[in-house]
Amino acid sequence: MGTEEKLSGRKNIVFCILSIILLCILLFPLYWVVVTSLKTEKEIFQIPPTFWPHILNLKSYMAQLEVGDFNMFQSFGNSLIIAVGSMLISIVLAVPASYGIAKYHFKGKRFIILCFLVTQMLPVSVLLTPLFIMFRNMHLYNTYPAAILADATIGIPFSILILKNYFGSIPGELEEAAYIDGCTRFSAFIRVLIPIAKPGVVVCGIFSFLYAWGDLAYGMTFILDQEKRPITAGIFNFMGQYGTKWSYLTAFAVVTIIPVALIFIFMQKYIISGMTSGAVKG
Amino acid sequence: MKKLAALFVATTMIASLLAGCGAKTSTEAPAAEAAAEAAPAAEEPAADEAVATAAASGDVTIWYYWEGEGQQKALDTLIQQYNDSQSDIKVEAKYVPFADFKKQLSIGVSADELPDLVILDNPDHAAYAAMGIFADITDKFDVSNYYEGPINSCTLEGKLYGVPFGSNCLLLYYNEDMLKAAGKEVPTTWDELLDVAKACTTDKVSGFAHCALQNEEGTFNFLPWVWSTGATSYEINSDGGIKALSMVKSLVDEGAMTKEAINWTQGDTMNQFISGNLAMMINGTWQVPTMRTEVPDLNWNVAPIPMDTKQASGLGGENYAVIAGGNEDAAIEFLKYATAKDQCLFMMNAMGYISSDSTIAEGQFTGDAVYEAFVEEMQYANARGPLPEWPDISDAISLAFNEVITGASTPEDAAAKAQTTIDGIVGK
Amino acid sequence: MNRVKRFFRYDNIGYLFVLPAFIYMLYFVGYPIVSNFILSFQDVTVKTLKAEEKPFVGLQNYIELFQQDNVLTTSIWNTFIFTVGCLIFQFIIGFALALFFNRNFSFSKPVRGLLMMPWMIPITVTALIFKFMFGTDVGIINYFLKSLGIISQNIDWLTNTRTAMGAVIFTNIWIGIPFNMILIATGLTTIPTELYESASIDGAGKVQTFFRITLPLLKPTIESVLILGFIYTFKVYDLVYVMTSGGPVNSTHMLSTYSYKLSFEMFKYSKGAAVANILFIILFIVSLLYLKYVYTEEEA
Repeated sequence: MGTEEKLSGRKNIVFCILSIILLCILLFPLYWVVVTSLKTEKEIFQIPPTFWPHILNLKSYMAQLEVGDFNMFQSFGNSLIIAVGSMLISIVLAVPASYGIAKYHFKGKRFIILCFLVTQMLPVSVLLTPLFIMFRNMHLYNTYPAAILADATIGIPFSILILKNYFGSIPGELEEAAYIDGCTRFSAFIRVLIPIAKPGVVVCGIFSFLYAWGDLAYGMTFILDQEKRPITAGIFNFMGQYGTKWSYLTAFAVVTIIPVALIFIFMQKYIISGMTSGAVKG
Repeated sequence: MKKLAALFVATTMIASLLAGCGAKTSTEAPAAEAAAEAAPAAEEPAADEAVATAAASGDVTIWYYWEGEGQQKALDTLIQQYNDSQSDIKVEAKYVPFADFKKQLSIGVSADELPDLVILDNPDHAAYAAMGIFADITDKFDVSNYYEGPINSCTLEGKLYGVPFGSNCLLLYYNEDMLKAAGKEVPTTWDELLDVAKACTTDKVSGFAHCALQNEEGTFNFLPWVWSTGATSYEINSDGGIKALSMVKSLVDEGAMTKEAINWTQGDTMNQFISGNLAMMINGTWQVPTMRTEVPDLNWNVAPIPMDTKQASGLGGENYAVIAGGNEDAAIEFLKYATAKDQCLFMMNAMGYISSDSTIAEGQFTGDAVYEAFVEEMQYANARGPLPEWPDISDAISLAFNEVITGASTPEDAAAKAQTTIDGIVGK
Repeated sequence: MNRVKRFFRYDNIGYLFVLPAFIYMLYFVGYPIVSNFILSFQDVTVKTLKAEEKPFVGLQNYIELFQQDNVLTTSIWNTFIFTVGCLIFQFIIGFALALFFNRNFSFSKPVRGLLMMPWMIPITVTALIFKFMFGTDVGIINYFLKSLGIISQNIDWLTNTRTAMGAVIFTNIWIGIPFNMILIATGLTTIPTELYESASIDGAGKVQTFFRITLPLLKPTIESVLILGFIYTFKVYDLVYVMTSGGPVNSTHMLSTYSYKLSFEMFKYSKGAAVANILFIILFIVSLLYLKYVYTEEEA
């Protein structure tokens, strides 16, 4: 379906306009944060609201550089380390597992699927204390690996359940062909199946990354030193500090979003080609 | 600095050798372990002051939750000065956000991973003392000059489990210009409050608000109404309790108090006030320094909270508590330093707190009318608890006034419901 | 051919692929599950947290919760309303968008990419943004509704017990749409184009093609999306915690936020664990039903 022919002339224009309208509606909240962060506190509370800042106010941004004892760049780097780490763990463990589930019949398979489902069912608050004790015993408390290992527990089962459909949808003939060509099971898996399932792997990677990126509870509970905490902890502190001072809060929100958006825009080509390349082409 | 570090290393090495665990190569503060093991030696009968001081050494970690930049800097300065003043003990402070503080402590208890000293909100003190995580410092610290209320909050079953850091209380803040524009005097009774708040309410300005969150912060701000009727915080389903709830209800119903207050922290409330969206608010001592620097031109003043039959305010503040089994001796040494007159005054002034030590508090704010009003109000300030189950009581009370403010139930029903919970805990 | 057949027979080598992930999850999540169950059968409060022997009380925590605690019933009810409300809208809108952007027009790919943004933003930030937009007096949502003539008086969204839940659901739908869209979109790519070609040769209409080809072939994807969506929505935590903290008057308390509150704000550790277990058991039953359904499908 991804290879459907390009829409022609008028239809193309209509669809493009429609998509822009959709975009404006769905992304309005983001526009609104950016605009709000550029207004003065007085203009924010003006009725009727202004849709672009009448007086451009960059003070909220300056304030973060001046008074912020919280190092935004440092915490951004921390988040990156944690998110990439947990993404790698998720992919390395989830890809073979989902392949195994999709392509092999073995005893207890349903039980194992159930287990992966079940592991996602505990609310975060319950995991905090036991995991804390484990990490302390492993001497990982207050280090990045504690947050990485904990965040991966969200990404792994998710990736497995998504990827198993992917591998499942790949026709057996492809694998047979590889096998006839002299591949072993493992090399068939690595050389043939993973490349075909790439779009799925990419999507799972993104999701695992984002779960870890957005995590607040683990990063804050298992890491105590301010210098090692993720950026979400920074926002959380900031909310406690500035309450309803919306110009400051929205500025912090924008600063948090911008880098994520940049990463996304740079990776977008890759993501989308991954998504639309399809498992089996015509 | 280098010299100091070298000296520190040398001292800790000697301490470890003395304690017989020099072979330990644990990365986690060997000095702290050494000190913990060396501690018993210091408690020997003949222990004179000099020996005891010399034996208290190692690292002391403090957890605190003040988010204000000025507050954090003040604590850092205090610690820096202490670390520079001697070489045996090294103190380090770690910030744990308030919303996360209870959780981090609870988990820390289960995992045996606690700091050596905490600075915590005083109504929670009894609960943690009941858990047995605080060291009994009854004879180790002289608190004879301290005010009774703050000391009570550190005491459980006759034993002292902490030292008050400093106190604060609540007053009515009012915007002088707004009241003048409305042609009103500062309210002193509930009826006057309603009248003035209504007169000051416009499209953009709410007449009155106090933090009414459904948590400890909200309870703290609500309880003065109850106390003012003569009822206690355990008597919500009494004439007084119902009267207090009804009063808040009429403030909200008549548009004199904004309902948004159920989502405002005390900091939010203060921000609304200094942004000119509020004519009057109830808030605490600690907001004064911020307000003075943020809006030096705003004409505001403080007055006693309008009362029913008697003047009442809430007692807030933090306590220091030494963690049992941590580096107790060194933590106590630091406490002695931090609560001495000069250091205490420095911290109190930086934080906008009132010292809990009466000898220090007396001369603390001479000539500053606003602060003097707060010091004056301290004698009417009631403590919450102390009771290990205070969090439950507080929860019931905050649910009650939230139900009333949102109109989910009548004052009578809300009071009855809260009382059932309270009676189940206090036993009647 | 014999060798090829052997390749696909019932084969224990599957374990090798699955085991690493399985052990990882067992280690990091299995133990907490067990310890949480044990905790919920004990009476651990402030006074017994440090005790050597924790009193065993059997089902007492559960019984007390169900008999005396009406916040529990409220939270269960809330959690279901929240989950179902979110799932329905997220799924339908996400599906519609996936189909829309599956058409090949000039902007389809970049715009679809941009629509992923709501999902990428840390939930803490999203909650903050919507808390601002749902404000009573200066919230932009009230302004829009007023301008469109839908309401005449400002609605106090987050401070009214009747509207707070709606506001929280709305926010979560906004977050969840891209999740549904991208997973369904990736699912769509696995459907071979020839099927559509032959369908159109056979003269099938668009609606017919959708119900005869797209839906059935997407079934595994849809199942995964819904079951994962259910689990993630059902245990929602950050969003509610930041937006309303369960208020006003418990009207948005979910099982997860209530469990957190019991454990870490009121120090009733065992009760908190019991509430978490109730959440766990509900989700467990749902996934058993799901697996049973998938299994009978495969058999058939």
